[in-house]
Amino acid sequence: MNTIEYTPLNELLQLQVELLQSTLNRVYNRVPSYRKAMDALKCTPEAVTSLADLARLPFTTREDLTANYPYGQFAVPLRDIIRLHTLSCGVSNPIVMGYTKQDVAHRQGLTCRFLSASGVTADDIVQICLDPGMAFLAQELKEAAEAMGALVIPPEPMAVQERLRILADFKTSTLITFSSYLQYLFAELAESGMHLANLSLKRVVLLDEHLDMDAREEMEREFAVDILCGHGILEAVGPVMAYECEKRNGLHLAMDHLIAEVVHPATGAVLPSGEKGELVITTLTTKANPLIRFRTGELTRILAEPCVCGRTTWRMEPVYERTDGLVQVRGLNISLDQVEAFVRHGLARLSRGQVSKAVPHVMAVRKERFLERLELWIAITDEFFAGSLPLLHDWLREMEMDFEDAFGLACRMRPVELCTLQPYLNQGLRVVYL
Amino acid sequence: MLQIKNLNTYYSSIAILRHLSLHVRQGEIVCLIGANGAGKTTLLRTISGLVPSSQGEILYQGKGLLGLAPDVIVKMGIGHSPEGRQVFAPLTVMENLELGAYHRFGRAEKPEIQGDFERVFQLFPRLYERRRQIAGTLSGGEQQMLAIGRAFMARPKLLLLDEPSLGLAPKLVEGIFQAIITLNQEEGLTILIVEQNARRVLEMSHRGYVLETGRIVLQGSARDLRDDPDVQRAYLGKDYAQVAER
Repeated sequence: MNTIEYTPLNELLQLQVELLQSTLNRVYNRVPSYRKAMDALKCTPEAVTSLADLARLPFTTREDLTANYPYGQFAVPLRDIIRLHTLSCGVSNPIVMGYTKQDVAHRQGLTCRFLSASGVTADDIVQICLDPGMAFLAQELKEAAEAMGALVIPPEPMAVQERLRILADFKTSTLITFSSYLQYLFAELAESGMHLANLSLKRVVLLDEHLDMDAREEMEREFAVDILCGHGILEAVGPVMAYECEKRNGLHLAMDHLIAEVVHPATGAVLPSGEKGELVITTLTTKANPLIRFRTGELTRILAEPCVCGRTTWRMEPVYERTDGLVQVRGLNISLDQVEAFVRHGLARLSRGQVSKAVPHVMAVRKERFLERLELWIAITDEFFAGSLPLLHDWLREMEMDFEDAFGLACRMRPVELCTLQPYLNQGLRVVYL
Repeated sequence: MLQIKNLNTYYSSIAILRHLSLHVRQGEIVCLIGANGAGKTTLLRTISGLVPSSQGEILYQGKGLLGLAPDVIVKMGIGHSPEGRQVFAPLTVMENLELGAYHRFGRAEKPEIQGDFERVFQLFPRLYERRRQIAGTLSGGEQQMLAIGRAFMARPKLLLLDEPSLGLAPKLVEGIFQAIITLNQEEGLTILIVEQNARRVLEMSHRGYVLETGRIVLQGSARDLRDDPDVQRAYLGKDYAQVAER
């Protein structure tokens, strides 16, 4: 049991003010972009005397993080940083996140807390099934579960049958994955005719909350498992920043590591607890890359009333919608702006010239046996291409390889006529779900 | 046990503490580290009511301390062992200790106070040997023992210790720190300690705060602070050349 989760709320809030003030003192002196933004609003760290004053501070966006590529957001000397991650969900430059030794330890502590709230103990056999694009989360989950003393089967690229075999033969008791893969895996499991009695699986821990409660309960009944979710963003505090308890009344926020606010997506005004808006977070313990009022682009509510489980921390509702142009596919965030830049770049290569005007394309997310597969429909007009078909074919294969490199996920490229896309473009759709 | 919210303290018009917030839980040893002039001593003096604070809030067991007289604060259970010992030089060791228990005379049972004398002498046997000696003639280490003993005689629940190792030989320092740990572990005394010997104090504390020019710039468990490169560079004497920029 982690004591911080049960600390009286007023003590937690005092801790948050203390950590917020020292974080602000550090970033104001050390991160020029934060200092500039705070000076512009005439808000020095001293102006923040309570959590309500947080609203006076400027927001930070993903664009701010990419603008300070690579090291401009760091609040410690590079010497203190022991790990770097680049997140390619930005627009132009990637986002670079650095971690000090202490940051890594905090991330691990929080991941252990999440796993233990999900019921994982040292006696468990934990199998992690995540796509290669989520390799760094998989790595952190693996390290945390190992630190708890559990036996861990890390993800390796393999066919689903192979994974099912491991699930049965290795007596996996906990499976960590994301919603659509779980649906896919369970559908395969049902088809394989494997006896459920052969499985030792007790619980599934999901890193997203796209599975609705009804579907979850049905799966729980059918496969005799508990399914619990965690929620995280790649930019902050660890694989998850909020997680469900056994009561499943929303996700408990890690209030000792971050402050969560909900703001109006358009005006940025802070909304009272219980109202739906965009989630904004401020990190409290992060040393290398502190985030001040970071706009996550996720729509949710904050539930401040205490949970029946006894934990005192606030909860957030599962996130089903976003405000920004990010599409979540198999646990990965893909920026539609970045996809557009990718297509533009690709077409420029094809036409051997600059492509300045709009490049008609639509991203299609196709569910094949529950697992999302990506397709990119690109309108190839005479303007871009007048060569032979084999050349076009080569270009498409090249684009597919480049896409996987850039986004960490396979995507089929489909050349289409402009008129095929027109209905979608007329509706302003950039992504369709099939 | 102690909660400080947005404390501002000024010496005339100069701000010494700026929007300082911290908390101490029952049974903890919490340390404050920082360079000279960061405001550590001022903070302890503000808690004790020796320096008036103009803004903010200090809550001790839920009650506000700001504006209360120092003697009221002592009676509420906050003891203060000041920087530079400040024992009553012309008085004997015994008289100094009695003065520590001054507010308890008439209220506490005599045997209780007697028991506390014994506890102090048990902690610092040297004081027993010198109990009739004039305090001004004690060595620096003995005076420090006396200052802590005197603060303990008030039977505080929260003890504020200001630079207990200042100017003492390393061997004596170890003895003083051991006594502080004993007070915490055996007497259940909650301790807020300001100390320049950051390495040693971080070994014995549960948590710590780093103060820079009146602001808290870092806090966390003592182990986190010990491992923090910023703290190592600034306060643990790790040579900057060893940790220079990449």
